[in-house]
Amino acid sequence: MDMDKLISNVLRTGVIISLILILIGTVLLFADNGSNGFTMAQIINVNSKINSSIFSIAGMVNGLFSLQGADFILLGIIVLILTPITRVITSVLSFLYERNWLYVIITVIVFIDIMVAIFIVPVILGH
Amino acid sequence: MIAIIYFVELLLAGIIAGVVGSMSGLGGGVVIVPALTLLFGIPLEYAAGASLVSTIATSSGAASAYVKDKLANIRIGMSLEVATTLGAIVGSLLAAYIYANGISSYLFIVFGIVLIISIYPAIKEYKKGKMHRMNKDWSTKFFQLSGSYYDKAEKKVVRYSGYRWGLGEIVSLGGGLMSGLLGVGGGVLKVMGMNRGMRLPMKVTTSTSNFMIGVTAATSSAIYWSLGYIQPFIVAPVVIGILIGAYFGSKVLERTQSRKIRTLFLIMLGVVGLQMIFRGFGVA
Repeated sequence: MDMDKLISNVLRTGVIISLILILIGTVLLFADNGSNGFTMAQIINVNSKINSSIFSIAGMVNGLFSLQGADFILLGIIVLILTPITRVITSVLSFLYERNWLYVIITVIVFIDIMVAIFIVPVILGH
Repeated sequence: MIAIIYFVELLLAGIIAGVVGSMSGLGGGVVIVPALTLLFGIPLEYAAGASLVSTIATSSGAASAYVKDKLANIRIGMSLEVATTLGAIVGSLLAAYIYANGISSYLFIVFGIVLIISIYPAIKEYKKGKMHRMNKDWSTKFFQLSGSYYDKAEKKVVRYSGYRWGLGEIVSLGGGLMSGLLGVGGGVLKVMGMNRGMRLPMKVTTSTSNFMIGVTAATSSAIYWSLGYIQPFIVAPVVIGILIGAYFGSKVLERTQSRKIRTLFLIMLGVVGLQMIFRGFGVA
């Protein structure tokens, strides 16, 4: 398969899944006039303390079953963040398939950089 | 009712940011941060979180079209991402130091002035017209920097080659450093490095930059998430708007003349420069 098409499809799929989750979350948020025990007024306040730091992956997955709007939205955002990372992994595999060794090395380095940034840098900074 | 109006306003801001971000190669954050802080009074932390997600949304949304139509060059993008991701890591490690020592405001002002000053030589060079003629160097062949795309505005196939990969890599390293350190300005350097450094056509440059920025932004995602910069109610309408805007932006870019995209980029260069100077003086 053509590499450009494959990568384009990976990006499009990620965007569509993310968009669907965010749209469902938005509808739930308005329908319930709130989410996760917070009222709408608390959530839309510009200085609201309802943000990513109080949500965990496990909590969000649970939130999907109890139809909590904010959990759907944040999960959609996570899918969006994972999309470019998935496209880097896809590029590694495509370059392997093309036997373009120089670019296999280059894309693997980019992938390692991303992993360091996500898993090691926050630890060094103490977050 | 207030919530719905607020939601629609944020959605509109997102659409504008998506169009401008996808066409200039800078991502939606350039428009979103000043819009959220100045028009909506949203704190800078939440604006920065929305900007990060916006950048990824513009990138993935527009790049799926750019990559399919071969405007974005995957090899050039990936090879420069080595430098942008490394720069972003070093930048985010240094960020704590520069903020603790209060030198961040000076950095914002200095970089802002440098960006604004750089508009003049860029205009001069663009006015000379043909700037893409150069002899192929070792890097053109070694890093496979040639490609072609069908230009829908000029109705012809454009063949191009990139030169001076090393220079592109150094400028991209600076771009990554700026993204990690200051959170803005990274896209500007990527575009400068590819267009003026590596002599790539403007459309290939902005669409490849668009393709790249999602990865650079993703490197900061874990830190932003744990710091609580991502507010679901702000991000939801902005992202939906950005994706709509980026979809239209990518269609428009393909049919727009390179000259106009360059003009848009130079305007955005000024906007980013001013934004940085304002940030340096503590205004939003």
